[in-house]
Amino acid sequence: MDFLGFILAQCLSALSQAAILFFIACGLTLIFGIMRIVNFAHGAIFMLGAYVGVTTVAVTGSFLLSLFVAPIVVGAVGMAFERLFLRRLYGRRDGGAYLLLTFGLAVVLSELIRVIWGAQPLSAGIPDFLRGIVVILGQPFPLYRLFLIVLGIAAAIAVWQFLERTRAGLLIRAVSQNAEMVHALGTDIDLVRTGVFGFGCAMAALGGVLAAPLVTAFLGMGTTVVIDAFVIVIIGGMGSFLGSLIGSTLVAFVQVLGAYYFQDLALALMYFLMLTVLVIRPGGLLGKEE
Amino acid sequence: MNAKVGLAVAAAVCALLPLVVPQYALTILIEALIFGLFAMSLDLMVGYCRLYSFGHAAAYGLGAYSAALILTHLGPPLPIGILIAVAVTIVVAIPIAWICTRSTGVSFAMLTLAFAQLGYAMLFRFRDITGGSDGIVGIPRPPGPFGITWFQGKTGYYYLVLGCLFGSYLLCRAIVRSPFGAVLSGIRENEAKTIALGYNTRAYKIATVVLAYGFGALAGALYAGFAGFASPELFFWLVSGRVLIMVVVGGAGTLIGPIIGGVFFVFLEHELSQITDLWPLIFGSIFIAFVMFAPEGIWGILSARFKADPQLPSAAGGKETSDAAA
Repeated sequence: MDFLGFILAQCLSALSQAAILFFIACGLTLIFGIMRIVNFAHGAIFMLGAYVGVTTVAVTGSFLLSLFVAPIVVGAVGMAFERLFLRRLYGRRDGGAYLLLTFGLAVVLSELIRVIWGAQPLSAGIPDFLRGIVVILGQPFPLYRLFLIVLGIAAAIAVWQFLERTRAGLLIRAVSQNAEMVHALGTDIDLVRTGVFGFGCAMAALGGVLAAPLVTAFLGMGTTVVIDAFVIVIIGGMGSFLGSLIGSTLVAFVQVLGAYYFQDLALALMYFLMLTVLVIRPGGLLGKEE
Repeated sequence: MNAKVGLAVAAAVCALLPLVVPQYALTILIEALIFGLFAMSLDLMVGYCRLYSFGHAAAYGLGAYSAALILTHLGPPLPIGILIAVAVTIVVAIPIAWICTRSTGVSFAMLTLAFAQLGYAMLFRFRDITGGSDGIVGIPRPPGPFGITWFQGKTGYYYLVLGCLFGSYLLCRAIVRSPFGAVLSGIRENEAKTIALGYNTRAYKIATVVLAYGFGALAGALYAGFAGFASPELFFWLVSGRVLIMVVVGGAGTLIGPIIGGVFFVFLEHELSQITDLWPLIFGSIFIAFVMFAPEGIWGILSARFKADPQLPSAAGGKETSDAAA
């Protein structure tokens, strides 16, 4: 076997995993940066995205369409939740209330999905045009996973440019640094919050749509993934966009390589990584200590 | 109503229950009391130090698995085995508490969560000891000491759990009303001020986390002895979330509230799951309603109405308590 090709295939596999994780973690970290909220419902949102995506494909037959429908629908759900529930808690000093409220949302959302779509997993095929196999250095590699990597990189660049170059991105960064000052300067920060929450949910939904062909849409797909996303966000530093990108990559490599080389420790490795980072830098790699 | 009289009445009612309820109801009752104890242990952290642990399943799971391993392999008398399990958990909890209390707020929640998930992962790593996903089954209830066997039956076990619950409650109440407890409330209301007064709040927080793990382990060990098995689900983060729900709905910072919350939810779950499979939906909705509209919880509402025990301030009021402290 060609050793170099084998290593490359594993790295590509890890990168495609990183892409999916990034879609979830980047929304989570942006929401945290703006609102100081850890969104426990993010896993359920991701799952909702997968289900909406699979349904869209089943109805219209178009995978590309589902890449737009799911984020829009789920983003709207997220914005509605922020408006109707989260907003009423902003006055409370007690940050724990958000944890609790979003955990409640996670429970309710997962159950609603079970009621609407049933308990059976929904299989989602890989769309025809992405079904092929690419041979890289003598190793076969699924085209769909390459597609994920490309999409992940494109999304990372797009979000980064959006945050750095646009006025909305500027506002988001400003609110995450000092919300009161931005408010005093005449910006409707409630609108920024709603927008970012919706955007974060839409990103997670996109991750769900993309993950569905790999793992099918099933109840409980959110409960493990949300923990992975937390680990990523904590490793990278809460609220740091670049941190979520680095964290996703690190965690994906630990997961993929760990599953191959240290099967017994695969589950635990990720937490060891997180604890090591936190003991050295309590705020995460790129985060500020609060 | 006088608090002491209330407590005595509650104890008497609980002690008489096995005489009137059927055997199957006793099973749910035991489970409810165990969850009440578990929720109360978390309240020490949440209600008194505002340390939101999202990994309290670690305490429950550690207690349950320690008890399971000790009872299965060493076979000491059941109460001794349970006490050893609690001691083991406390020893494990010290470094965990030390690391977790380096941060506060959300990071603290995530760190506790990480430890619980690490424990979950370890169960699969050391499969030959823990049984992996099968867990440990057939945990015995060895008799003794001094030839005592009454706790081997279901009714007897009920009294064992009840005794542990009341004992733990009285102990916790003594703790939170002591000068030590006053410092904890100080941390909850205004940590910076408490530090300025010369208290090493980190040490107090470590002690509280360890205590909470100890009582949580007691609940877990009692569960293992009762159910006869321990499974990895005990460590899973959904258990941590559930018990946090119980604390908040019951009334954080009151000790008795979380007990009520735990008992209330176990019963609700049992009743609702018989008539509808939508109960988790109802469970979640009730929880959201409490977080939104009644952060002081069931006991907070009750005690505000009857002024049952004005000595115990409610913790979860958020705004009101912070204003009072400022």
